[in-house]
Amino acid sequence: MAGQIKMMIDQIIEERSKGNALLVSTTQTKLILKGFDPVKYDASSPDDPAVIARLRQVAADLNVTL
Amino acid sequence: MGIKVAQVADGTVDAGAKLAAQLGDPAVVVYFASPKHDPESLTAEIARFFPTAATFGCTTAGELVTGAMTKGAIVAMGFDKDVVSRAVVAIVDGIKDSTDGIDRTFSEWDRRLGRPMLELDPERWVGLVLVDGLSGAEERVMERIGDLTNVVFIGGSAGDDVAFKQTFVAADGRAASNAAVLALLECPNGFDVLKTQSFHATRQFLVPSKVDKAAREIIEFNGKPAAIAYAEALGVKPDQLADQFMAHPLGLMVGGEPFVRSPQQIVGQSVRFYCGVDEGVKLAVLDSTGIVEDTASALKQALDRNPGTKGLLNFNCILRTLELEAKGQTDAYGKVFAGIPTAGFSTYGEEYIGHINQTATMLLFR
Repeated sequence: MAGQIKMMIDQIIEERSKGNALLVSTTQTKLILKGFDPVKYDASSPDDPAVIARLRQVAADLNVTL
Repeated sequence: MGIKVAQVADGTVDAGAKLAAQLGDPAVVVYFASPKHDPESLTAEIARFFPTAATFGCTTAGELVTGAMTKGAIVAMGFDKDVVSRAVVAIVDGIKDSTDGIDRTFSEWDRRLGRPMLELDPERWVGLVLVDGLSGAEERVMERIGDLTNVVFIGGSAGDDVAFKQTFVAADGRAASNAAVLALLECPNGFDVLKTQSFHATRQFLVPSKVDKAAREIIEFNGKPAAIAYAEALGVKPDQLADQFMAHPLGLMVGGEPFVRSPQQIVGQSVRFYCGVDEGVKLAVLDSTGIVEDTASALKQALDRNPGTKGLLNFNCILRTLELEAKGQTDAYGKVFAGIPTAGFSTYGEEYIGHINQTATMLLFR
């Protein structure tokens, strides 16, 4: 399977920014500083269980329910 | 009305009275003081002379004031309610061990403001953060703040005149180490943030493959001992690497701009940095450019974007200050800010979304 990481990242950005362009940018920066560069992942990125687990924790820290 | 800047020199007695004489009766006072001024008595004195204001600040490794860099001084900025209509301030203690105090502070602010921190308008509210510069906790502090709110927090790590023994943050009459001051400001006319660093990214990249994050050390880059790989990337011998640190730090690239990670020293074959680094995160090797020219250009662009800016706070890395001193450019750097009311200090690290080095983070008030 592939593409889950990209979907999770998009959902985190969407939920935190609610479409506000400033918040899209700052949320992307926060994710990069946490080690998840949104541009590194696309629909064909493999569903690495370790990365997905870390991203679930990041989402929880950001108060985002995936 | 608006913003006023005050300065008292080294050796001044009655600093609180002298600041009050220059600032009048502001709603908020932010100050940056050389550790030559006892932090505990100074914060008590400032709170006494500004009984109706929110007051907070920290110790420095040099100060910045409109048109000049100083040593041994106290600089302060006072804000009237037309610029900062509401402020809440808190000291978060024990940051070396835990960031739980940030959660507690924000919960308290939720109640006081009647709105969750997560729902505040990030174009009307801005945060200031001053951190014990020897705590090593800035990354965790900034990450937790960013988790809990969309409001941008900007600031710096307190200094102690390059003694590296103890730094203090202070608010409303109390000074503390192992602590951070958080301040949340409502700016009815808005604000802007300027982050500027004098580097450009080369095409060389290093990827940490083994790190000791707690120690801020990179043990391996690209599977090789870090000092060896870093020296190879710069085309120098390992014993020449430390001489290259100031001019060639590393940068985590975000939207084409580096979040600078500055190396501090070689430890065995590892490299210790002034901020934390993660495994697997690609870092660009940076080349230095001119601090005075770059800052002047960045400030001009920021002021053009924000006509009517009333003043700015500048959190300027001590490594930039040391470079300016070595090049005899401190007067020129101070003069970059001659045309705009300015207060700031030389920091042990800069904060903007995360923790960064060799950068100036500035907050412009409209």
